[in-house]
Amino acid sequence: MNELMEHTQEINNLLSRYGVKFGIYKNNTFHEQLFPFDAVPRVITHEEYVKLEKGLIQRVDALNLFLKDIYTDKKIIKDGIVPEDFVFLSSGYLPQCEGIVPPKGIFSHISGIDLVQAKDKSWYILEDNLRVPSGASYPLIARELCRRASPKTFRNNKIVDNRNYHKLLRSTMENVNCGGISVIMTPGRYNAAYFEHSYLAERSGCVLAMCNDLFVEKNRLYYRDYKGDKQQVGAIYRRISDEYLDPLTFYSQSLIGVPGIMDAYRAGNVAIINAPGNGVADDKGIYYFVPKMIKYYLGEEPILRNAPTYLPFYEEDRKYVLEHLDKLVIKDVAEAGGYGVVFGSDLSKEQLEDMKKLVEKESRRFIAQEVIDFLDLKIMDEDGALVPRKADLRAFVLSGEATKVWPSGLTRFSRNPDSFVVNSSQGGGFKDTWVLSQ
Amino acid sequence: MRKLRFLYRTILKFDAPVRGHSFAIRCIPPTNQVQQVNIEERYVTPADCINEVTDGFGNLRYVGRINDYHTGFEYGVRGTAVVQSMQVQKEPLHGMYKYPSAFTGFAPSIRAFYESLTVPEGDALSRAVFLMHALYETMQYESGSTSIYTTAGEAFEKRKGVCQDYAHILIALCKMAGIPARYVVGMMIGEGYTHAWVEIYTGEGWYGLDPTNNLHIDDYYIKIAHGRDYADCIVDRGIFNGFTNQEQEIIVSVEEIS
Repeated sequence: MNELMEHTQEINNLLSRYGVKFGIYKNNTFHEQLFPFDAVPRVITHEEYVKLEKGLIQRVDALNLFLKDIYTDKKIIKDGIVPEDFVFLSSGYLPQCEGIVPPKGIFSHISGIDLVQAKDKSWYILEDNLRVPSGASYPLIARELCRRASPKTFRNNKIVDNRNYHKLLRSTMENVNCGGISVIMTPGRYNAAYFEHSYLAERSGCVLAMCNDLFVEKNRLYYRDYKGDKQQVGAIYRRISDEYLDPLTFYSQSLIGVPGIMDAYRAGNVAIINAPGNGVADDKGIYYFVPKMIKYYLGEEPILRNAPTYLPFYEEDRKYVLEHLDKLVIKDVAEAGGYGVVFGSDLSKEQLEDMKKLVEKESRRFIAQEVIDFLDLKIMDEDGALVPRKADLRAFVLSGEATKVWPSGLTRFSRNPDSFVVNSSQGGGFKDTWVLSQ
Repeated sequence: MRKLRFLYRTILKFDAPVRGHSFAIRCIPPTNQVQQVNIEERYVTPADCINEVTDGFGNLRYVGRINDYHTGFEYGVRGTAVVQSMQVQKEPLHGMYKYPSAFTGFAPSIRAFYESLTVPEGDALSRAVFLMHALYETMQYESGSTSIYTTAGEAFEKRKGVCQDYAHILIALCKMAGIPARYVVGMMIGEGYTHAWVEIYTGEGWYGLDPTNNLHIDDYYIKIAHGRDYADCIVDRGIFNGFTNQEQEIIVSVEEIS
């Protein structure tokens, strides 16, 4: 491992050369910045992984059943498990998707589940990302470079090979392909995750398409190739958000969507990966109900725990939240990417009072969670010393013929010693994640 | 019960050729529990392909594409409808019609107005009719006073608007009173344009009210589509490549046949 650490700078140089960058929009301008790599890996033991794997599969299976239920029968609402406010008031619920059951009933093909490990080593689910979770390509290419930098490290440690992500992805797409080619659709090189789009297309053998290459005719989606010939598209892994997907159905000013794609999808002629409308299940308010979903749909006890969460929407919880606001973390359900997260302990007295008023007034808008005492991971600082930092793990769960967990993941850490926020859009770095085979 | 003859046409003219034109049109009145529709003619021209689809709200939509250059676009429908309104259309309620939408948000001005009213006890319909009367008394119809992007709150602050605004505000008021409500686009006798109104949920099904005219929906109305608000029921959505101005002419006619 020491050998690996000595190569930190070289690996980062190579990542930069390969264009492993993360784009950030701030004040309406686009900056591209490197995604700093730390060579000290996160190590997950075999035993730990077996439990994580089971728990993640269980969770994603339940979330997929929830999505199917919400867009069809809504039994979970009728049975009083999830209050309908949390469904129909969620910005992720799209009535335009009512009644659509995607090919093979799979809504979330690629799920990014964020976890943290507490000091007592237990894992907690932080949030589910079921729309277009990004990040798998970063550890994928980093592993490739690490193996090159120090082959010995990988010979001497029993590390599960994670370089099959592209195969997993491709088989997940082919599983739901409705006839035709498989494409990865990118909005273009100014997107935050453009590196990922191009890298995954290259590795998986899918066509990388921009919106101008795609069009719909007779409820079928086509790709126009370099010769000008059209080829039907059976599965599209789209890396744009729902509201931009189809200007004839959603946001009409969208220039990065494909007009008519929603109708092709509704007609069952193309699989959209992930399905539009998934936002209703990864809403921060719905998160509270996921353990209940697992019991409801699968009849099983949840294997992985949620962070202790309160919904001010319920009177009892609201009381608790208002009394303990200074110790809790408050999240705005409408925000993502580390935005809209406030730690009660950081607030001044006046700010706390303002926050209390806001929570009382818009109780549906917030969730509050206990602050988890994170297990710090060691990172190497600029002087080569190992220092502790907060980190999380994004696990990738792929729902194809079977639901599978990618034996790796994206470990992100906060470079600022005082910060809990690890999102790459907030300037964090990343590590390789080793899953041990025994 | 009445028998109506209807005609709907839109003619679009571009002053420079456009191409790669995708369109989605909702202009075909469906047959439902209160109207029996017989389509005599429908057309979209030019069009390389047309498909009939149903959207997430249950409305009929024509979607298609024109690949080559063109300077005009026209579509229309003509037929008859046997209408028997003033009755509840039985249907289970979808929860989305209980909550505010983009255009029917619970603006403070509407909330204040609602709180100033003393809504009499009664069933959903009688309370909704009360709200419609109150709205009709306070609003002033003025064409051109608002745009298609105006929300219920913005129109209510001016106390002016057109049918779209009346419908949005009544929907917000009904939802505040706990009555689910939805937006309807259609045609009515004597108007040369499409009209918008409201359907409220009585507990058993949907019932139409026309807040612009302070009327129950009777046999002189033909419904085309419904949704949470205007944005869900847009008659024509299109996107094309070209640098052009466009001119739009819409012809709507509804007349009674004996």
